[in-house]
Amino acid sequence: MTSGFGLGLRTQHYNDFLAEPQPVDWLEVISDNYMVDGGKPLAMLDQIRANYPMVMHGVSMSIGSVKGLDKEYLHKLKKLEQRIEPMWVSDHLCWTGVHGRNMHDLLPLPYTQEALQVVKRNVEQAQAVLQRPLVLENVSSYVEYESSEMTEWEFLAEVCKATGCRLLLDINNIYVSAFNHDFSPISFIKGVPVESVTQFHLAGHQNNGDHLVDTHDHPVCDGVWDLYRQALIHFGYVPTMIERDDNIPTLAELIDELNMARAVADDVLNTKVAL
Amino acid sequence: MKLAELQTNFQDAVFDAECKDRDWIKGSARGLSSRDRLDIYHNAYRLRLIDVLLDTFEHTSIYLGDDWFNQLAADYVQLHHSTYNNIGLYGKDFPSFLAERFPEDGEVSELALMDWTLRRAFDGADSSVMTQEDLQQLVSVESTGILLQAVPTMTICTQHFNTLDIWHAINQDQTPPVVEQLPQPIDILIWRKGHSPHFRSLTKIEAIAIDRVCSEGTLDAIGVTLENEFPDVDVATELGVMLHRWLDEELIQKPGSVHSCC
Repeated sequence: MTSGFGLGLRTQHYNDFLAEPQPVDWLEVISDNYMVDGGKPLAMLDQIRANYPMVMHGVSMSIGSVKGLDKEYLHKLKKLEQRIEPMWVSDHLCWTGVHGRNMHDLLPLPYTQEALQVVKRNVEQAQAVLQRPLVLENVSSYVEYESSEMTEWEFLAEVCKATGCRLLLDINNIYVSAFNHDFSPISFIKGVPVESVTQFHLAGHQNNGDHLVDTHDHPVCDGVWDLYRQALIHFGYVPTMIERDDNIPTLAELIDELNMARAVADDVLNTKVAL
Repeated sequence: MKLAELQTNFQDAVFDAECKDRDWIKGSARGLSSRDRLDIYHNAYRLRLIDVLLDTFEHTSIYLGDDWFNQLAADYVQLHHSTYNNIGLYGKDFPSFLAERFPEDGEVSELALMDWTLRRAFDGADSSVMTQEDLQQLVSVESTGILLQAVPTMTICTQHFNTLDIWHAINQDQTPPVVEQLPQPIDILIWRKGHSPHFRSLTKIEAIAIDRVCSEGTLDAIGVTLENEFPDVDVATELGVMLHRWLDEELIQKPGSVHSCC
């Protein structure tokens, strides 16, 4: 076990992390929040980094951009990577806008051969700048395209195979998308290459009855815990993080939830059964 | 459908004021139509950007009230597409948008500009600041031609109304005063000291001195400018007092810093 269990670093918890050591093995930072010129965000980052390993998680790379990646963005990301020296750098399998516009959302791609070529090219571009494998996260989605030619997991497996990139499996996103598009979450888990999975995200969502929305503002629900168990059985131990972006509770509450992830992993990995 | 065409269509569908069915999106699963599905993105886009504006323009939103501010923010979102990777920069044009919407109520856009400038100072570029000791050392080496450079977060906003009083009242959860046009516009200096954005009003003489600092004037050149503009003032004493305050307030960069301001 190399990297344990982590939390997303949020401004509400800066003082907790500065005041005393917390039972958190590593912290995930939103890269974009620290790609700024200076001030408190970078000062806090440097102070907290001195005591915690970190991973970087971005939301604006837009790996599905037909026109290629934004070189200035990559340059800033590399600069931050050199500052933090993270264990790994992740972003999402998505696109965020075209024609110079940014919708500030993680928009799903059509799973086509053409999109596959675009993503492969862009992953290679990112990896050439970062000089390390990029880690890609599956997004939650509310639409599927008529033009898709393969499943999301087949697409991800192809990208990993062609580029050597890694995967951040968001268990909640699998759960949400599986519900919204009526597919089996177990098929997703079984469909991605075991050796590529670098990190798990666990998060909460909002249940709107006929669809789920990935809001990250609730505790992890029972269904996602169950799927996490299945993922542990299939992949074995994978560094795991609780991701909370809204309605953020106290650090103590999040640590309680993280301890639940630890307990689930201990339970599953000590009594592993076939999926 | 090619990827570029699909992405353009998707973006257009999100930007459109009205969300409609699209035949390139699958419907059926869970009984949701393509319109229902796109509507999730359509709504989330607007809510996300309105939230950013609410967060950035906190005092302005309190001054206008939630309903009015939300309507203005929704109008802004419909008219202005983000071109930034950093979502925090989305409100850049909101003060000028408010100036157009409220041509008779200039304090609204002035308040918004103040909110915006303070927020930008928060994560603006770092720099090493000049101390009293640094200055003494410089003076001992070079008595003339000492170049003063303002810290990169320094900005001056000119206000024509009692906007500063309105800002203070809102900040203290008090009822804002009645709007008044000032007899003379005042300059408000905004910058970051330590980790916190600061602001204060400037006297006329200090505003001119700061303006010269921002144009990278030497201490001597600032003195000459002030002597020409204020022949009845003891400029040497006045400039000495100002300089002492600027250093205490971390307004001046240490020599050799590369950032520019204003």
